[in-house]
This record gives sequence, structure tokens and C-alpha cells, in this order.
Amino acid sequence: MGIKRGVSLYSYQQAQFFGQMTWKDMIKEVHDHLHTDGIEIIDEAVIRDYPFPSEEFIYDWNNYMARYDMQAVTMDIYLDVHQFRDHVMNHREAAERLKNDIKLAARLGFQNVRPLCLVPIDVIERALDTAEKYDVRIGKEIHAPLPIVPGKRVQPTVGMAAHMDFAMAEQIMELKDRTGSSHVGLVPDFGIFQHSPSQVSIDYCKRHAEIPESIDFILENSRDYELGEMCRLLDEKYPGHGLDVNTVERMNLHEMSADPEDITTIIPYIVSIHGKFYNMTEIPGRPGCYEDKAIDYETPIRYLRENGFDGYIDSEFEGQRDQQDRGLEYLVDEVEQVRRHHEMLSRLCKEA
Amino acid sequence: MFDQYLIRSDSLQNDYENGKAVGFQFAVRIADYRGCFLSLHNGYYITCDGTEYPREQQTFEINGKAPRSFEELKACVWEHWNYDDEGILHVKKEGGLAPGKHTIGLQQSILAQYGYMPWDEEWVKNPPVPGSGAGSGKTANICTFELTLQEGGC
Repeated sequence: MGIKRGVSLYSYQQAQFFGQMTWKDMIKEVHDHLHTDGIEIIDEAVIRDYPFPSEEFIYDWNNYMARYDMQAVTMDIYLDVHQFRDHVMNHREAAERLKNDIKLAARLGFQNVRPLCLVPIDVIERALDTAEKYDVRIGKEIHAPLPIVPGKRVQPTVGMAAHMDFAMAEQIMELKDRTGSSHVGLVPDFGIFQHSPSQVSIDYCKRHAEIPESIDFILENSRDYELGEMCRLLDEKYPGHGLDVNTVERMNLHEMSADPEDITTIIPYIVSIHGKFYNMTEIPGRPGCYEDKAIDYETPIRYLRENGFDGYIDSEFEGQRDQQDRGLEYLVDEVEQVRRHHEMLSRLCKEA
Repeated sequence: MFDQYLIRSDSLQNDYENGKAVGFQFAVRIADYRGCFLSLHNGYYITCDGTEYPREQQTFEINGKAPRSFEELKACVWEHWNYDDEGILHVKKEGGLAPGKHTIGLQQSILAQYGYMPWDEEWVKNPPVPGSGAGSGKTANICTFELTLQEGGC
């Protein structure tokens, strides 16, 4: 069996934006050039007229997937609590969106849906019967800056990490154990194993910083200061730096949000994995072999392999957005980046 | 994201009514990797040659329908702006724009979220005014475009 490879069509978002690739072109690329079958989608990017696609779209999708013998692995779904604008969607309404997305995923042949890490646990529980009925598993995402299990980590009070529940994965495991359901689990994202800012993000932030040296200062001192302290220090040292807290948080990254060995504790709960990456570069001295210098793939994949994980890792390329602020000649080639990612995945998943 | 590509570069035109220029228009894309429910679209921070044009002077044309105000769009809770599609932003300006080059500043506001946030109730009562960065989604910069007014328009 072994670990399976797939691609989230999210990876080709720029090609889709510019009309260079349709979802059909993307699926064919995965089949013809990556020689694998796993497909993941963003519902609101691929499904024309979401959440009311035509019968023609659904048939066309299923037909095309069948033509190339592809596997619809996971559909990524969302929770926009301001949809109705006259009130904040309550948890029962949020569950209705989740249930509808599950039904839609089933019609498109998906094995799993991926709600985001900020979706409350009771919303997931309310949709569990629907997941069972339609045989679609709900995999809640473990996205950076979340850990897998909190351990000794202290949850920050500023930045994105302040809004997330560090015990999220444990809540899902508790829900699965308590209900005995085989239709709820987790989707860890390799972004939790990112240990430093990607060069493409650093370059973007420098191009837009009022005082580019302020970015160097963060990079040089990130190990010594938590986010809040760093923001205060920047105000002192670089008045008028103009950096927002999200930028400081991105640049201040200096350790993985999760410990790679913790992945062994959740393997029975994983429904699929997001292979987040930003920039695949050739490994010095190893022609044709690639790595993402900012993310540890080797250690977690070793743990997954040694512990018999046989689900999908779906590539999720995200480096394009930091390279879209200049001319067309600076845009990154997503197809090439994903091909490099699959060179790495194939190699690491096979290594003994 | 898509900073330099949120406005199609050859799309700036004047809008006319009864033969008189009453404003200008250009084609925009969603600053995200997914589409959105139209109700979430909360308008734009727009400057043209240094003058700001608030949301009340803007209408948005999408899905083959006539341009609608952002107050009208709030009620479009089941209609979707598909990721692949261009929308046309119309901006009221008596006399339209003069021929030649113009500098447009733009920040899009879409109240898309990944779940519940501390400001949710406040945003129902007082939606963010585009330009502050709040509700600006995946592109918080005010992006700048040098565009040449195209002939034609209607």
C-alpha cells in the first residue's frame, strides 16, 4: 500500500486565474505527468455556481474523473459566518452549510470534506449523521500555527494563533472515540512543520516594507522575542515601519508549530494530508532532487511511513501569491513547482 | 495576492448616459483563491488620480445582471461570484475621465472568513469601510495601477 500522492488543484490557482488551465487540464497534468490519481479541490474555486452546480457540471466532473481513473480524495469547504449580513450565522446554520457541502462532495465522488480549523466542534458533531449517511468523512484541518497536541506550548495572545484552539485535534479525537464514528478525523497540513519563513515570502515583505531593514531585524532576532514583544520592539527601533501584525507574525516564525513525532499519535484519525509548500529548489549536489527549505518533510514522512499511514498527501502549493506583485515575467510556474514536489514526495515516501 | 492583476489593464472606460459621460468603469477579479457569496462583497477603496470615490458612488456588475449597489448586494445571500469571472466596477464621476493615463488605487473588501472571529457582531452593525485593511481578505495592500482610458464605453 504505502503513502499515496495527490494534488490539490489549489496549487494551480494562478493558472486558473489567468485562464491558462481549466480543472480538466489540471487533472490531466496529475494523471499524465505526476502518474498518480489523487485529486483535491477548493469547492468555491472549481464548482461552477457553488453551491448550486448544474447537473451538467456534476456529470461532466464525474465523467472526466472516471475517464482518467482518478480518485476524488478531499473537498475543501469553508465557513463564511457573514453570508447573511443581517446576523452572524449561528452554529445550527453553520452545520447546515457543512451538511450541504457533504452532500455536494458525495455527488462529486469525494471521500472526505475538509472544514477549517476554526469551525466549532459542535458544528462538526451536528453534521456527523449526514457524513455517515452519505459516506463522506469530515477531516478537520490542523493548520499552522496549531500544534498537533499542545504539550507544553503556551497559546499566544496576539496574531492568528490567539484565535485558534490549541486543543483542537484532541477535541476531534475525543469526538471520534466518544461517538465511535468512522466519519470524523483530521487533515494535518505540512505548514505545521514549517520552521522558517520561505525566501519568497521574505522577498515579498521586503519589497513592500517602508523600512526593509525592519524585516532583517525580525529574521535575525525572531528566536529571542515572542510576537507581542517583537511588535513593541519594532515600534521602538523603526518608528513608521508600517508592518501589520500578520507580516510580523510571518517573518517572526522560527519554530514548527507542531512536533513531527506527534503525528504518530493521530495516524488512525487522519483522513488525508495537505502537502503545503512555497518554493521547491534543487538540493545542492543532488541534481533532479528538490526540497522546500522552509518545511521539514523528511521527518514527518518517516514517521508516517514507519507507522503504516496509507492515505493521501495532496500537494498544496502556496508560493505563487508572494510573486504576483510584479510583471508577468516574475510569476512562478506552478506546474513545475508541483512536479518538483512530487519528485520529493515519491522519493521520501519510498525511502527505507 | 494577484496584486498587479486585480484590474484588467485594458479595461478602463468611461460610462455614458444619454451621450454624457457620468463615470468610469474597469474590470476586477476576486483577490482570493476562491469565489464568494455575493453578499460578502463589501465594496472597494478606490482612488483615481488622488481623489477618493467612496462605496456609495460604486456599483458592481456581475452574473449578467445590471450594475447593483453594495447595499443591494448585501441581500444576494445565495448568489455566487465565481472565481473565474470578471466583475465590472462602475464609479460615478460627472464628466467621466479625461483621455490618457490615470492612476487607480484599489483595495477590495470581501467579508470572507474561515470561521468565527471577535469582531463578527460589530461587522453586522458596522461593516468595515474599505481602505482600512479590515475585511480586505488576501490582499491587504492598496494596489496601484497605471491605466490608459480606452475609447468607447457605453
